[in-house]
Amino acid sequence: MVPKIMKQGRLAPWLYLLPSLILMTIFIVYPTFATVRLSLLDAHSLRSAATTCAAGQPCWGILENYRYALTNPEMLAALRNNALWILLMVPGTIIGALFFALLADRVPYENLAKSIIFMPMAISFVGASVVWRFVYDYQSSGSQIGILNGILTALGGQPVAWLSAPIINNFCLMLVGVWLWAGFCMTILSAAIKGVPAEILEAARVDGANEFQVFGNILLPSIMPTVVVVATTMTIIILKVFDVVYVMTGGYFDTEVIANRMFELIVTNAGQSTAIAVVLIVLTIPIMIFNVQRFRREEAAR
Amino acid sequence: MFKLSKMFVLLVVLALAAAACAPQPTPTEAPTAVPATQVPTAMPPTAAPAATATQSPAASIDCKGAKAGDTLSVLYQWTGSEEQNFNTIVKPLVDACGIKINAQSTRDAAVLDTMVKSTPPDVLFWPDLSPIKLYSDKLVALDADGANAGNYASDWINLGTSNGKLYALPAKSDMKTLIWYSPAQFQALGYTVPTTFADLQTLADKMASDGNVPWAMGLESGAATGWTGADFVEDILLATQGTDYVNGIISGKVPYNDPGVMSAYQIFQKWSSDPKYTVGGSTGTVSTNFGDAILQVFSNPPKAMMVDKATFAAGNITKQYPNLKLGTDYNAFAFPGAQGVQVSADFMYAFSNSPAAQALLAYWTSDLGGQNFAATNWGLSANKGAAGNYTDPMMTTLGNIFANAKGYAFSTGDALGNPYATAQWKAVVNVAQGQDIKTNLDTVAAAQTQSLQGK
Repeated sequence: MVPKIMKQGRLAPWLYLLPSLILMTIFIVYPTFATVRLSLLDAHSLRSAATTCAAGQPCWGILENYRYALTNPEMLAALRNNALWILLMVPGTIIGALFFALLADRVPYENLAKSIIFMPMAISFVGASVVWRFVYDYQSSGSQIGILNGILTALGGQPVAWLSAPIINNFCLMLVGVWLWAGFCMTILSAAIKGVPAEILEAARVDGANEFQVFGNILLPSIMPTVVVVATTMTIIILKVFDVVYVMTGGYFDTEVIANRMFELIVTNAGQSTAIAVVLIVLTIPIMIFNVQRFRREEAAR
Repeated sequence: MFKLSKMFVLLVVLALAAAACAPQPTPTEAPTAVPATQVPTAMPPTAAPAATATQSPAASIDCKGAKAGDTLSVLYQWTGSEEQNFNTIVKPLVDACGIKINAQSTRDAAVLDTMVKSTPPDVLFWPDLSPIKLYSDKLVALDADGANAGNYASDWINLGTSNGKLYALPAKSDMKTLIWYSPAQFQALGYTVPTTFADLQTLADKMASDGNVPWAMGLESGAATGWTGADFVEDILLATQGTDYVNGIISGKVPYNDPGVMSAYQIFQKWSSDPKYTVGGSTGTVSTNFGDAILQVFSNPPKAMMVDKATFAAGNITKQYPNLKLGTDYNAFAFPGAQGVQVSADFMYAFSNSPAAQALLAYWTSDLGGQNFAATNWGLSANKGAAGNYTDPMMTTLGNIFANAKGYAFSTGDALGNPYATAQWKAVVNVAQGQDIKTNLDTVAAAQTQSLQGK
């Protein structure tokens, strides 16, 4: 017999949910709708975006701001760069993180090694970007004060303008991103590796598998769910990449990214800026859905 | 409801932006234009200014009915020593009227935007004219609010006027259209200061053929990279086309892809991308910080002969090389052939017509306000009362060039704001990297149209 006090009415679950529902409504739901509304208005959020159409130019009516967000050459360059960031930085961080996690697993000073790799996460991204600006510093004449060019010239090479030479500068920025985030991925992957039962690995080794086979056939499949979670999380983070680009190149020299465009436009053109924000939300939604579905399937399988 | 929604979007965007960086929308970088020449700024003014110094300050200050204890909120971008200079200038007013000034400092246009839409400051000092465009419904016309517009040249009045109302006056100005050089180097190498634009071109060619790099150029300035090049191009335009032409870009009469602008960019491209004319060629120009470029002229041995920079360069030079002497080791000449000077300014705006706000506007724009401003040697003042009252030799020289200029043309980027300004900076960078001029200027002209539509 359940005591009366513990009986719950139909309303009780809602009561428990209420605080988070209120917070979600104020900070997530309402701003999202407000953003969508603003993205359909003009620069000063006064009239419909359709009024900004110039005669003789292509016009998407009320979706005019989205025409900017999806067809403007600057935005196309930003979208292309974001895609490049995802394509290179997600594998970059994961491979790097796996590599460090596996190596650290085998040394006696594991915690120290992992702390060093994790350290960049403790630095503010803006601070880290400023530091890396010095690493990539280029002097057109005289002695080089950036360490990379210092090494290059000491070896008899020519200094390279790392941050202003197109293509190469994008890779330099991504390297900073990898440096910042690899530690975070490593911590999660390392925990997953430790969760793989030692007996399975031992059994494989007894059966004659070499270390590469153990990794490829046993370890990797066992931690795959975690790898996917890390990959999707990183994809979302990279879609929003901003600080590194803003501080190091300001989006110049073909390094523009979506979030930087959004930031540049927020004061002068709220419509275009919010349209970019909506595009960003739409891009992240499928990844989120994928993540949630996967999580549910795993829960069901448990 | 609408305000609230906009604020939320702003918050979301700022959160994404990690909120960690204070963006600097208008890079009129003017780190305390006080050159460190060893004249104590507090030195009692001699000769001419003595007459004015004998007046009792309180006598000529009009409190406009402000009562002791009235408060006045002020927003500006100044910090540190600049803020001290501001306090020094307004001290006579504060003493005379007993008003209390609550000042806030931010460089963030987003913060200004949020404030204006909730609790606007009574008086705003902002380094561009964007508030006219963005907040004209909230601004109070200055001449109806106690300001003495008669103390300012007509070019300045035109700049600050929109729909027949005067919304902005320059509170603190900076002059560009200057070329900094080392007189000692010029003498040793047999070069003379050019007086016409043709002379300047000949001199640059001569230097290049002698194996001396004529120009130090640095376009790098973080998210505002390119602005120094845009200023350089405008100086060329002032020499080749004149003040009216440049003001035509601001009013929209001259599209930015006009042949006159194109030919200025052709000269700029040659000077900014050829390693014979600029330190390190294209790569050097776009990668060098604008502050470092100034120093390239005064290093030992010098890497370049001349650098085109605003008044603030003096501060950079003397900070890095405190032993250099004005007049022999470093000096500036007005851009040869320029018909008028290119200026930037921190403008004064009013959101309130309270007695205290009127008192500040009246004082700042009065002869006395101009004198007290000049006495700090903080920067140049377009107020006619400032002329002849600077106490520092460098500022006296610059003050004379400034006061006697044939005309004043605002930096087009600061006047039109975004998207024009950013498009212009990007075009400058692209042109310095050797890209096609026409294509880039077409893009800027399109942005110019957009900026003008918003105005």
